[in-house]
Amino acid sequence: MPAARRRRAGATAGLQTSRLVTAHIWVAIAAFAVACLLGVWQMWARSPLTAPYHTAANYFRSVTLHGVSMAFVLTTFFIMGFGYYVAETALKRPLPGLGLAWGAFWLGIVGTLMAALSVISGDASVLYTFYPPLTATPWFYIGLVLVVVASWIWCLIMIFAMRWWRADNPGKPVPLVMFASVANAVMWLWTTLGVAAELLFQVIPAAFGWNGMVDVGLSRTLFSWTLHAIVYFWLFPSYIAFYTMFPRAAGGRLYSDTMGRLAFILFLLYSLPVGLHHLMMDPEHSNGFKFLQVFLTALVSVPTLLTIFTITASAEIAGRMRGGKGLFGWIGALPWDRPMVLATGLAFFMLFWGGGGGLINMSYGMNAMVHNTSWVTAHFHLIFGGTVVIMYQAICYSIWPSLTGRNFADQRPLRVQLWLWFIGMMVMTLPWHWLGLQGQWRRVAAFDYSNPLIHSWGPWVIVSLVGGIVLAFSALLFVYNLAMLHRRGIAGAPAAIEYAQAVHPPERVPSSLNGFGLWNILVALLMLLAYGWPIAQFFVYPPPQAVVHRLG
Amino acid sequence: MAKAPRKRPLKPRDESPAGAPPEQAAIDRPWRIGAAAIVAAGLAAGALIGFVIIPAGQKENAHLSMGHAMARSAGLEAGSPAVPQPVSTATAIPVSTVSWDPAIMNVLASGNTARGAAIAAQTCAACHGDKGLSQSFGPGPVFPSLAGQSPYAIYKQLHDFRSGARVNPQMTAVSQMLQVQDLAAVAAYYSAASKEYAAIGARELLGDAEIEKLANEGDSHRRLPACLACHVNNSGGPIETPVITGQIEAYLVTQLNAFAGGTRTNDVYGRMRDVSKKLTPAERAALARYFQGTL
Repeated sequence: MPAARRRRAGATAGLQTSRLVTAHIWVAIAAFAVACLLGVWQMWARSPLTAPYHTAANYFRSVTLHGVSMAFVLTTFFIMGFGYYVAETALKRPLPGLGLAWGAFWLGIVGTLMAALSVISGDASVLYTFYPPLTATPWFYIGLVLVVVASWIWCLIMIFAMRWWRADNPGKPVPLVMFASVANAVMWLWTTLGVAAELLFQVIPAAFGWNGMVDVGLSRTLFSWTLHAIVYFWLFPSYIAFYTMFPRAAGGRLYSDTMGRLAFILFLLYSLPVGLHHLMMDPEHSNGFKFLQVFLTALVSVPTLLTIFTITASAEIAGRMRGGKGLFGWIGALPWDRPMVLATGLAFFMLFWGGGGGLINMSYGMNAMVHNTSWVTAHFHLIFGGTVVIMYQAICYSIWPSLTGRNFADQRPLRVQLWLWFIGMMVMTLPWHWLGLQGQWRRVAAFDYSNPLIHSWGPWVIVSLVGGIVLAFSALLFVYNLAMLHRRGIAGAPAAIEYAQAVHPPERVPSSLNGFGLWNILVALLMLLAYGWPIAQFFVYPPPQAVVHRLG
Repeated sequence: MAKAPRKRPLKPRDESPAGAPPEQAAIDRPWRIGAAAIVAAGLAAGALIGFVIIPAGQKENAHLSMGHAMARSAGLEAGSPAVPQPVSTATAIPVSTVSWDPAIMNVLASGNTARGAAIAAQTCAACHGDKGLSQSFGPGPVFPSLAGQSPYAIYKQLHDFRSGARVNPQMTAVSQMLQVQDLAAVAAYYSAASKEYAAIGARELLGDAEIEKLANEGDSHRRLPACLACHVNNSGGPIETPVITGQIEAYLVTQLNAFAGGTRTNDVYGRMRDVSKKLTPAERAALARYFQGTL
């Protein structure tokens, strides 16, 4: 790349997208920090200790803001920023449509502010799930739609960046990191169709008062279309880091490039036709379709196990290259002092527990016992915090030097932050799972600790609260670490990062593993068969509808 | 700002789907066929178990033929297992039978109609006033104010009097003389006619800090929700919840005591019975005084 093209006025380093990426990720981090502090207060409010400002209205307002910030703002802005970064650094050429990307950024900001102000006003305390007949002020939904539209623009930029690169490099394999990022963009376009249909045709008209009645079965089904795949949208950057950043950080190579491509393709295929497993207690769907989607859900374990195998093998290669001997000696030989290596190790450990909890949730019979208990909340916090957020943090530590042109002077605060996040997450979520097994219900603002049964939960809720405080402290340290790099880092960091190379770098890959045409057809087939009748039935046999219940 | 790389025309579709050289089509073909076959096989296996094998195993206990069992598993036939449920022998507890269907919602939303105004003038105004502002503060007979209430709140109580879910010698007789549509019309009339009192809660409220906290925040340790979480219009609580600010103290305390003592039972899910029982008699009296406020 010519030096003149790489240098942009105002950019702190040689990357053309550095301002764009840092803007996106700082917005994500700001939402994350606010949400962490709210989370601690929520834990406090649910504990036997008396929390200030504790009313049911404040609690649900806080939960809504916490959920929206974590699930929509942190993730969407981080993934967009990281995607732009990958597009420039992996393809080693300028991002197409930089102006459009900035437009999408500001659209997302406007949408975020609309949603945030709606929640703060108290007219949108509907949590971050869209389950009518309860509807918030329409501005809440319109704000979130703007965020989604911004992410659609991101998807198109990513897809065209890859297509145009491929047209200029016929026959060459798209770098794995870019292939995976575009897989996420393609999946996100499919994912958002469900919630977009729900919002545009049901929820927003109801929130404006144009519809007095709403078919809640249909809206729950459309939301379920989005509900599982959105989790994989959040998770993708973590897997991208496992495959393309961790092996290099560990000082080795990726065991197999093809395994990586297959894993990302399988996530694209099997994240989508599985959402009915969120509706196993809902009466409007038949057992056959519930079973079919649970069966397909089980297939998500294939790419997960592929990943665990490939990344463990990559780690072993690195450990042995560093002189590790024997059956397990290579584990100790890994450079655990490097944030990316440490975070991957901790994430794998937490993924083991979170994944186990998830297997219980997706099993029809066991789900019946934990349904709508704190078990579910604990599960998704462990997966989200334990695999998604900790890897986002590690990714930030890896890419921040190339964005700011400065290196971390001391890696210790980074390691302390990651360890605190790990400890906090385990201390918070394990007792929380236990409380779910005791029957503690979720989505309530307070518990009546004068009831003897509930009284016995008290100590465990306090333990969870302690975990939450540790997490909040870690979150603030994370913000501090990144902010300080802008000012106090050691100048001279290179303007790009190198991604992990495979043991056998791919020279030629089948077109199927270099694009998404075939996979889009298969996704369409799976969705048609898994969701066709479950959605069509609401139009063939229209069920009774529910009266819309508006807030604000 | 650097320009995006110039787009080259993509290769014709039949050469390769990914703009790859033709020799790559050869290595791609087995991938395409293999992937499609594996995905289809997975789908078929799931469908076979879900739509055939499981229904085959369950049909006997549900007394269903294979055809019906499969149709049910595919969601083509509705219904729960064909075993008849025993008829309940429990005695019915009088509780509200009101339902919010579109027909009634439309009448309630229609506001001031001649029909509603006529019924109000003939039957209601003598006790509840032209605009629903009651002047009876006790002692003696107490008539609640209707001013500022939503049509849903008024209709719910009228419907309950009519069905017997709530009992009052005068109101039971009056409501049973009228048709359900008339109840809705008069509820809509009173709500619309007293719109100017909708802000009645702005009056000064009287109570010590503890009572004010109960009204605004509830008491999480006793699992008492805040009164004002529901009892203001558009609170987000149940649609039929009445406004209680500005209501007559003697009426409020009588109702709270009736809920606590179990003599009034038309609150859906027993919400007010639960709340009232948890309040001490002194708190009930203080809350009633607090919500009447100063006129």
